[in-house]
Amino acid sequence: MKTVHPLPDEASVVPVRQPLITVEKLTVDMPLGRSGSSVRIVDGVDFTIGVGERVALVGESGSGKSLTARALMRLDRLAKLSGRVDFDGTDLLKLSDRDMGKLRGSSIAMVFQDPMSFLDPLMTIGDQVAETLRIRGIGKAEARKRALAVLDELGVDRAAERLDAYPHEFSGGMRQRVVLAMALVGEPRLLIADEPTTALDVRVQDQVLDLLDDVSTRRGLAVLFITHDLGVVAGFAERVMVMYSGRIVEDGEVASVFAKPSHPYTQGLIKAVPRIDQDLNTLYAIPGAPPPPLARPSGCPFHPRCDQRFDRCGVDLPALQPVGMSRVACHLLDGKGA
Amino acid sequence: MLAFRAYSWFLSRRLGLALLTLWGLASLVFLMIKLMPGDEAQMAAGADASAAQIEAVRERLGLDAPVIMQYFSFLGRLLRGDLGTSIVTLQPVLADLEKVLPSTLELVFIAMLLNLAVAIPAGIVAAYRQGGVFDATSRVTAVMLGGMPAFWLALVLQYVLGSVWRVVPISGQQSYGMASPIVTGAPTLDALMALNVGAFFDALHHIILPAAVLAALFATQIFRTLRASLLGVLRSDFIMAVRAKGATARHMLVRHALPNSLNPVLTLSGTQAGAMIGSAVLVETVFARQGIGAYMFNAVAQKDAFAVLGSVMFIGTVVCLVNLIVDILQLLVDPRIRAAQLGSQGQ
Repeated sequence: MKTVHPLPDEASVVPVRQPLITVEKLTVDMPLGRSGSSVRIVDGVDFTIGVGERVALVGESGSGKSLTARALMRLDRLAKLSGRVDFDGTDLLKLSDRDMGKLRGSSIAMVFQDPMSFLDPLMTIGDQVAETLRIRGIGKAEARKRALAVLDELGVDRAAERLDAYPHEFSGGMRQRVVLAMALVGEPRLLIADEPTTALDVRVQDQVLDLLDDVSTRRGLAVLFITHDLGVVAGFAERVMVMYSGRIVEDGEVASVFAKPSHPYTQGLIKAVPRIDQDLNTLYAIPGAPPPPLARPSGCPFHPRCDQRFDRCGVDLPALQPVGMSRVACHLLDGKGA
Repeated sequence: MLAFRAYSWFLSRRLGLALLTLWGLASLVFLMIKLMPGDEAQMAAGADASAAQIEAVRERLGLDAPVIMQYFSFLGRLLRGDLGTSIVTLQPVLADLEKVLPSTLELVFIAMLLNLAVAIPAGIVAAYRQGGVFDATSRVTAVMLGGMPAFWLALVLQYVLGSVWRVVPISGQQSYGMASPIVTGAPTLDALMALNVGAFFDALHHIILPAAVLAALFATQIFRTLRASLLGVLRSDFIMAVRAKGATARHMLVRHALPNSLNPVLTLSGTQAGAMIGSAVLVETVFARQGIGAYMFNAVAQKDAFAVLGSVMFIGTVVCLVNLIVDILQLLVDPRIRAAQLGSQGQ
């Protein structure tokens, strides 16, 4: 795993980036069976990703991080979305299906968790990578040439010979490169990576991360990296957003969040990462489990598991407020003075 | 070159299996004929034949030999393509079949086309818009059609379309005076070969209703199978990946979802082809069409052993052939099956 980025000194204060995507009050409701009722999985999320910026979205499974990411591309057909997703001046939630389709793959692309299940088993690798271009009316030979170039760039060995191979003939790491090639071939400006390393073994994880790092730097690509692995975040992202029960609870520069986490949940997550100098018998885990979206507790959804809670936490929902360079949603920061 | 060898090895294995199946079928049919009550020689000689005449017939048909010898001589004749002689028409069974089969095959072929042409698009739309109006109505329709006896459906359609609205003929294979010179025995094909457009459309006009009746029951099965299979595939991850590439719904359905849900449909349509020939008996009777249905019906009624055997063997051969085609189609659709069946050299 890569080392943590050094703390920024005064000279290299992060420049203010031009925003690429701005999300305001995004909610995602999923229907419950055929009853007609629905459950709110993502509950009012606000954030901005700048041009070329790498942001990690961290949370336990069920926190709504994947649905947030899919909502940006409107990928869940059943999900009901509200709020605003402003990409380069257009509200994606207001686009027609047709116009949204044009943006997918060319402006915003996605890499998925399990490369095997995200590849069509019946189509050759070459066709699947070229498909992003073919859909946009690019000729067969040209699309194939560009697919080959991307596969080469991503280090797929003997890519030219293997264009006509099928997914089952590739190893896990190579498949993830193919999935990445599928996303990059359309030259998007924002790449959403939904736990792209979770299904891979550790050695391959590192390779894929390095690759993602190289490629996004070279192309000036903004990346929204979804993960539950804080170790990965430290090496890759510039900023981290922590999600809990459908809301963002902390958002800040990776270095400052890791050095001084403000939200008790973030503190717990960082404490729970095993360290090399740590006695393994005392591995920390946050007690309890995240609440199901249908039974969120009143007030702050984290308060039943929080070791610093006080009376207000069970009553009021804390808003996400600026704290220095970060944003935090916790009563500790105003109730008792941060 | 290697791929060719892998394919021919696969084909010869499948053909061997098909021959084994047909041998089993032949043995079973032979056994059934022997176990049927009644004396074959007596039946062949006729009700008022004398004892001497019956014995003469017995000798002529080889029915006096031990059963095991009869079995072997029957297998030997089968290998030479001799299905025996009908004791009713006194013609070789093969010659009889040549006369009646094309008409049935034509009916079954058109019914199969109708079946797939209706059920597959309906299945796609129903699955893609699960819970929508089309899904609901087509599912109710499928249950009703699937539960409806074919003869009853045939009679209702004959009455409504043929008698009240008079848009299609009620029975027969062609209008009077529209017959083309018999080449294949299938009216539409013969008309086509005679380059007689009028006769072609006339024959098509006659076949459409019986084919639709025959297709109805089978189409409900294909519809339900495809819908269920597609619903599973549409939930799978790679469909989301295809959508993330910016594919239109149509592209996603036709290029990804459909090929991946086709396997059970292919298997089902293979078994359906055989079942359709069986169901043709009923449809041919109701619509007064020539075909293997009527031929087999008479053969069974008159204990015409060789005619029954020939018909059953023939249907068996068609089923084996169709299944072979289905195997090959599955091979062509799915590279994983290809890898498993052809070995690594078959890529």
